This record gives sequence, C-alpha cells and structure tokens, in this order.
Amino acid sequence: MSAIRAESLTKRYGETLALDRLDLSVERGEVYGYLGPNGAGKTTTIRLLLGLHRPTDGRAQLLGVDAWGDPVSAHRRVAYVAGEPFLWPSLTGAETLVFLARLHGATDVTYRDLLVRRFELDTRKKIRALSKGNRQKVQLIAALATRAELLLLDEPTSGLDPLMEVAFRECAGEAKQRGQTIFLSSHILSEVEALCDRVGILRAGRLVDQGTLQELRHLGAQHVDVTFEGRAPELGPLPGVVVQRAGPNALRFEVSGGIGPLIAALAEHPVARLTSREPSLEEIFVHHYDDSARDVERPR
Amino acid sequence: MSSGRADAPAPSATGPASPGDTAASARTGAALALARRAFLDARVRTIAFAYVFAAYSYIQPVGYRDAYPTLSDRAAFARAFASNKAIRLFYGEPHDVLTVSGYAAWRVGGVLAIAAALFGLLAAVRASRAEEDAGRMELVLAGAIGRRMVNVSALAAIAAGIVLLWLAELAGFLSAGLPLGGSAYLALATASVAAVCVGVGALASQLAPSRRVALGIGGASIAALFLARVLADTVAELGWLRWSTPLGWAEQLRPFTGARPLVLLLPLAATAALLAAAARIAAGRDVGTGVLPARDSADPRLRLLSSATAQALREQRGTLIAWTGGVAAFAYILGTVSKSISPADVTKSVRKEIAKLGTGSITTPSGYLAFLFIFLILAVSLFVCTQVGAARAQEADGQLETLLAQPLRRRRWLAGALVLAIGAAATMALTAGVFTWAGANTAGAHVSLGRMLEAGANALPTATLFLGIAALAYAVAPRAGAPIAYGLVSVSFLWQLVGSLLGAPRWLIDVTPFAHIGLVPEQPFRAAAAAVMIAIGAAAALAALAAFQRRDLLGA
Repeated sequence: MSAIRAESLTKRYGETLALDRLDLSVERGEVYGYLGPNGAGKTTTIRLLLGLHRPTDGRAQLLGVDAWGDPVSAHRRVAYVAGEPFLWPSLTGAETLVFLARLHGATDVTYRDLLVRRFELDTRKKIRALSKGNRQKVQLIAALATRAELLLLDEPTSGLDPLMEVAFRECAGEAKQRGQTIFLSSHILSEVEALCDRVGILRAGRLVDQGTLQELRHLGAQHVDVTFEGRAPELGPLPGVVVQRAGPNALRFEVSGGIGPLIAALAEHPVARLTSREPSLEEIFVHHYDDSARDVERPR
Repeated sequence: MSSGRADAPAPSATGPASPGDTAASARTGAALALARRAFLDARVRTIAFAYVFAAYSYIQPVGYRDAYPTLSDRAAFARAFASNKAIRLFYGEPHDVLTVSGYAAWRVGGVLAIAAALFGLLAAVRASRAEEDAGRMELVLAGAIGRRMVNVSALAAIAAGIVLLWLAELAGFLSAGLPLGGSAYLALATASVAAVCVGVGALASQLAPSRRVALGIGGASIAALFLARVLADTVAELGWLRWSTPLGWAEQLRPFTGARPLVLLLPLAATAALLAAAARIAAGRDVGTGVLPARDSADPRLRLLSSATAQALREQRGTLIAWTGGVAAFAYILGTVSKSISPADVTKSVRKEIAKLGTGSITTPSGYLAFLFIFLILAVSLFVCTQVGAARAQEADGQLETLLAQPLRRRRWLAGALVLAIGAAATMALTAGVFTWAGANTAGAHVSLGRMLEAGANALPTATLFLGIAALAYAVAPRAGAPIAYGLVSVSFLWQLVGSLLGAPRWLIDVTPFAHIGLVPEQPFRAAAAAVMIAIGAAAALAALAAFQRRDLLGA
C-alpha cells in the first residue's frame, strides 16, 4: 500500500486548469520532493490530498484511504504543515500547540518539548506577536510532534532563518530514519537535494519529470571540463556533445547521452586535467522550465 | 477583503531627480488611488448603512402620517409617548410631534444619529488601525507617500461615505414629502454625529495596539456619549448634559423646530480637535504600535481548548459577554419603565392604530413589553447571522484549513458553530427575560418571571429559522452567505412593519416569519408557528451541513 497515490488527479477552478491528470505514487518510508515554480499546482495537489478541495476528476488516496471520501481516517495518520501559517492570533504558542495536539489526538509531548527547545521557540508569546518564521515553527513543531506516518509539508521552511533550516533538515532526517513518509513541496532545491529519495517536477499543473536524483541526472547534460598541455585542439563534431571554449588551453563539454565518443576523441590529445560534474538539481529544474518556456513561445 | 491589491503609489514618484511638479502630481495621484481603494473596501458597509438611512427616513414619516392623520390623534400620541421615558431613551427629546417633519426630526434623527455614530467609529478604525494590523500600512508607507497624505486619503474616503449617507437620508425624507431645506439640515445633523465619531475612532486607533482594542475603546466612548444623552433626556435636572455629547448637539440643532445652525460649530470643533490629536500622535509613534502597550506574552491558559467548538467559544467570549451585558442593561431599563404608560394617556383611536402594528394594547406593562420584545427577536435573529459571519471569517482567514487538516469532520465543525450560535442566542434571550422581569418588579409592575422567560424563549424559533437559512446560504455561497442572511432578516422585519402600516393584504404580510410570532407576554406563545419555524430552520441547517460537506474551502 502506497503512502500517497494519485490517479489522473485533476482540478479545475473555473477556467483555470490547476492540476492536469496527475499520476503520483509515493511509497511508505520514502521522502518525496515535489518541485515547481510558484503557481505550478503544488498547493492545489496538497489541498486535494487533504480532501480540502474536491477533485474535478481522478482520485487521491492517503495510506490507502480515499482523500475526499474519508479525510478524517486519513488525517489521524497524517500531519500537515501549510505554506502560510494560519493560526489564532490571540492564542500563545503553547496554547496553540496544546489545541492542535488535542485536535490531532496523538502527540508525543516529550518530543514536542524537545522540538520547542531545538527550534528555540518562545511559547509564551501570542501568535499575533510572532514573525512569519516563528509562526512557521509552531506549525512544524505541532506536525513533527505527532510522529504521524505521513508528513505533508508545503514549503515548510519559508520564512525560517538558515539555522532553523538546518534544524528542520535534522528533524526531517530523523523522521525518515524512523520510517515516516515525507511529502516535501518546495522550491528550495538544495533542501530537496539533501533530503529526498525521489523528486517530481511540476509545471503548469502537469508532472513533467519524476525519478530518483540519479535518474533525473541521466536525463540532464553532464559537464566535462578539460585542460590540455598546450593549446586546445579543434575536435570534429561529436554526437550529443556541445563544445565551448573556456580559455586558451581549456574546453568545456556538455554531454547528453553516452560519454564514449568524447573519451575516444580526447585520447588522441595531451590532456592535463579532466573534471566531470553531474548536473545539479537546479540545472535539471531550469532545463525543464526553459524547455517549456520555449514550447510556449513556439508559434503554432 | 483586499489583500494589498495594487493600487499602490506610483513608483515613478520615487526618483529624486524627477522635477518637483511631476513628483507632486504623482503623489496626488497616489493619494487619490488610496482614497478610492479605501472607499471601495468599505463599500458593502456604506451601501448597507445608506439603505437603512434611506429606508428609515422614508418609512417613519409616511407611517406617522398614515397612523396619525389628524391633529387630535397626534396630540394624543404626544401625551402618550413623547413624555414616556423609555421612548425618550431611544429617540431623544421631542420638540414638536404635531407635525410630520417634527416627528421625523425626533424619531428619525434620534435613531439615525446612533447609527451614524457607529458608522463613523467603524469607518475610522477600519481605515487606520485595521490597515496597520494587516500590515498593509507598512507597504503603503514604504512607497513615496507620507503618513499625512495616507491619513488625508483615508479621511477623504470616509467623508465621501458620510456624504453618501447624508444623500440617502435626504432622499428618504424627500420621497416621504418633507421639504428640501429642513430635510437637508436634519440629515446634516445626523452627519455631524458621524463626523465627530470618526474623530473618536481615529483617536482610539492611535491609542490602541490592535483593531479589537480600538473598537472597544471607541465603542465604550460612544456608549458613554449615548448615556449622557439618555440622562439628559430622561432626568430633568441633568438637561445640561445634552451639551456634552454629539448626540445631544444633533438634538440641539433643532431641525424643523426652530433651527439653531450655530450649534454646528460644536461638532465641527470637536471633530477637528480629535483628528488633530490623532494626527499628532500618529506623527510621533512607530507604525504598527499604539500608545497603549500590547500584551504579547502570557502564561498558557488551557481552558476551552478541548475541541474546535470550545476554542471558537473561547475566541468569542469577549464579544458574547458584551452582547449579553448590553442586552441585560437595556432589558432592565425597559423593565423599569414598563409601568409608565397609563391607559388614560392613549385615546381609543390611537390604540387601534398601534394595534395595526400587531402589538395589541401597549398601555399595560405586558403589552408594552410584548411590543419591545419584537426588537429582542430582531436583535437575536441578527445575532445568529453574526455567528455565521464568524464561521465564514475562520474560513476566509485560512484557520479552517488548519482545523480540517486535523482529524475533524467538516460537518462536525459546522454543526458545532451552529450549536454555539443557538446556545449564545438562548443565553441572551433568557437574560433579556430575567432582567426585564427584575426591572419591572423593581418599578412595581407585576409580570411573572415565567412569562418573561417565555417571552425571551419566544425569540428562539425565529432565530433558529434564520440561523438555518444563514448556514445554508453560507454553505452554498460562502462569501455572500452572511450578507444574504442580514438582508433577509432586515427585509422580513420591515416587511411586517411597512405592510401593516400601509394596510397590505393579509396573505402578503403573512410571507414574513415576523407575522407569525405570538407576542409574549401579551399574547400566548404560538406553538404551532414556532414548531414550523424550528422545523424549517433545522431542515435548512441539515441541508447546509450536506452542502458544506461537498464544496471546496474558499479563501478570502
């Protein structure tokens, strides 16, 4: 049984198609990164998964339970952190944590107190007096303290300072160790790169790519920098390789597909140094985003 | 409503190199844009008030002319009512009720002055403190526009709103056939109260650290000003107090009954002084703070956090206590004066005319209380609509999303809100019954506690009906739900009043639930009608739960 399963999940708001036939499967114990620019449909997906909005078509299941049909059974085993912390201004942090714990029904109080210390939250302060980052901490602590089987996190670190981002990564790592499933919607690529087993890239309501980081990297171009002893030679055209001059003695290659032909061609020349670097998630992301931008511009 | 929509100041005004003229005109443009935004943000409230102003200033003179056509009728009316303390408490001191315009000046002027005071307070707090609470003020001030200009824009928008109310009141009087000059002057007297209370609201906004506290300070001030007028109008030796309150000044302007326009200098001076004081404080403090310190830290208090409904009660505790306290105070006062009308004061023909309003005899304490309890029924019906509005506010502010991401059933949340509403309504209604009884007995009028409790409980079938309808409107059309409900309650109430006065056919009047209420304690409780209302209300509430279960949550 998957932790999250979406089949042809579609949501339309009036004229706008917010989510277009999303097929998604997240296994238990997995950390899944859900990437996309603003307005791509990340929050819509989470609202559908939580049964807050009703799918126009298709269906979603959380832990084997239908998200729209029986949200309450699902929510007992799920904790959620919203991108925007919507809490009650007149309650203090401590009161909010108690209230949310009573609503959820399964909170580890000892762990919660530990989290409060780790995130350095002043729980005596009223929510209305807290900055956005501090309100975000309240939500995160409440969610993590439930030790729910599935954590749905919608841009959980927005507004957090770098130190607290580190604290969040540690906590998320521990949750993963314990076997909790994490669905992490984000556009902070380093965070996703550090935490996630698998990544999906969403654009304009469609899942344009999905896989482990390793798999995604094979799709992206590999960068090879070569410095020669003496002047860089002229290499003939090679399949799947784009050449750039990077100095009098150096060339930079962007290799998509196999690296064999390049190695063969280089073997005939005196190579001083060769470094190769896999594409970063950012490059994969920008690659998808640029492609689609070109799609849009292309005349019909 | 608006989340910082982009009518913000033009960025071109920021360039230090731009010539002075261009910068100045850009600033004026920005100020105009701000004023327009502020006016549009308040449009629903402005239109609602304008509607009430126009309707009330039309209905009252027409109704009076119809019910008391002859001078002798009016003289009898004057003997019976104009000297009645309870009535003076509401409407102020009458100067001449023998003419329709004199009656309008007393009755319409008195009531609309109170409405205008509330309008001024709400508008001022909305424009300054609420903007700061929401953080929009910082955004605006970060542009090339100073505090003074922001202040002026906000006041311009409010002034436009007040002009609109003035026109609405004037239009009502003119349609009722009152002369132009006097009507314009009477409407001006009403508007002067709004202006002073804008000053009160502006100053309260500077003192308070939050919108809620600003409304509290402003509301308490207006209550004090009202109390001063009430004392002046009901206690002979305290007549001088009339000069201490804008509500009294509006009376002293004496529209239609020997106008004293020089009195206008008083509200003018008071408004200017209050606004100047507010501007002075505003110029010297940090944006987002108030003169009074905000209490931002507290030890945890864990009561009323066990469920979403308990927490909703916790959030509203202050408001509920204020409503119930207000109801208790008014009920007690009304009880004490219930004995002051004697049958000798009211001629038979007048009594018959009042009976047209559906009240029965109002010359006995129980008849009089039955008449006044119609207004309790109205108030409780409006109150349950505010509760549905509060539920909607939780959805609009995103807190409902936080709640429903927890293992909490939607139906359960909405049902909890409805139960809370009816519970609070019952508390208020029964409080009214008990305190009226206490007041009446203090004054030596003998009404039984049981009957007065029954009179209070009599408000609940109607409240249940409107609560169910309001919930259904909210479930189906979240943004329009509460306004639709307010509109329905107001129209149903006026329907009965206007229909009775104009002698509309019975079946037409019977459309409104207010026509089916037994006027307890004068008449017996009408169980059948009550059962029908409760059944319809409950059915609507069930439909609301089903509809709410099926829709998307909708943000602001």
